[in-house]
Amino acid sequence: MAKIAIDPVTRIEGHLRVEAQVDDGQVTDAWSSATMWRGIETILQGRDPRDAWYFTQRI
Amino acid sequence: MPTEIGGLKSALIRRGMARRDFLKFCAAMTAVLALPSRYVPRVAAALEGAARPPLLWLEYQDCAGNTESVLRASKPTVAELVLDVLSLDYHETVMAAAGHQAEKSLMDTVEAYKGQYLVVVEGSIPTKDGGIYCTVGGRTALDLVQEIGGNAAAIIAAGTCAAYGGIPAAAPNPTGAVGVKDLVNGVPVINLPGCPMNVQNLTAVVVHYRTVGAWPATDQRGRPMFAYGSRIHDDCERRAHFDAGQFVEDWGDHGHRKGWCLYKMGCKGPETFHNCPIVRWNDGTSWPIGAGHGCVGCSEPNFWDTMSPFYERLPNVPGFGVEATADKVGLGIVAGVTGVFALHGVASAIRAKAQPVNRSKVEVEEE
Repeated sequence: MAKIAIDPVTRIEGHLRVEAQVDDGQVTDAWSSATMWRGIETILQGRDPRDAWYFTQRI
Repeated sequence: MPTEIGGLKSALIRRGMARRDFLKFCAAMTAVLALPSRYVPRVAAALEGAARPPLLWLEYQDCAGNTESVLRASKPTVAELVLDVLSLDYHETVMAAAGHQAEKSLMDTVEAYKGQYLVVVEGSIPTKDGGIYCTVGGRTALDLVQEIGGNAAAIIAAGTCAAYGGIPAAAPNPTGAVGVKDLVNGVPVINLPGCPMNVQNLTAVVVHYRTVGAWPATDQRGRPMFAYGSRIHDDCERRAHFDAGQFVEDWGDHGHRKGWCLYKMGCKGPETFHNCPIVRWNDGTSWPIGAGHGCVGCSEPNFWDTMSPFYERLPNVPGFGVEATADKVGLGIVAGVTGVFALHGVASAIRAKAQPVNRSKVEVEEE
């Protein structure tokens, strides 16, 4: 039984961590986590709707 | 063939790049830096000779927009930037290695080139709740930027997020995001704000460092003067329409089709310092105002809060349409920026007022 973690996953836009449970050479379970959060949804609240595209474009 | 490991000359030879193209690149960089053309040979000599410093590109609370800006640039091409001017040892979005392998190569460079390597930071750093809102390889960005940045020769904060916190720091700043300068002491930090920053300015900063042996002069906000020393409004190609009182009143109206001034549509050019109108984007073909959209002020700290709503006119402006008003707006804002900028604003106001008078004098004399 071994657990492997790949962090950071590169050649992607954003931050990602992947963990996998390996039993007898087979992946039996896996987890992925986005390891960065900015709270754009929270930041957008109460703003002029015409500006929304400019904020969400940065996701 | 003599081996010049790490030198630019050998990299150029390997890639079969013509010397003429190399000198063109040097000339372009000299122009961006606003240096006289006699500096071109000096720039060329400096780039050819020395070994390329290792560069570590760190991404934290980012959208990779600055990376896109670098990758999509054609002048300098990404190859010129990455292979010739710098030795890019770590960049999550483009590197082949992943996981432990990637982090090992990062820490190897930090160990081997302590105090010599350059760091580019893209994205802000969250400080709230111990910095858990951004981790790489199990370590927080807060921890990483202090260790890696703290041992660098210098840090270039690429984009408004790395420089001042940017969009994650917009109200209510849910993650306590800050820029690099708030976290790293004792290492020069060059801010290259912009959303995204312009790759020409990044390359020019590095070229300046390699040629002169020092970082370019910066303003109080840590921005190089060569790139952030003049107002968008003063260099704007639509300025004549502003002076003539010709404004776009609605999207797609007669004035918009004619390329008139976007001030009434919310353009923040009068309070934004950046060389966009000169350097431009997409190989110098266009830029936001050129494409018919007002400036949002993306190179100014906290612009997400202070410049929005983006489609509303500048706040507290009683009227507009004449030169005097624009300069009053500029002066009011500039006064809060720096003394140097204030002087610039005054100078442009005086120039704007003086020019028509001078012109009529000349005409009189000619008659």
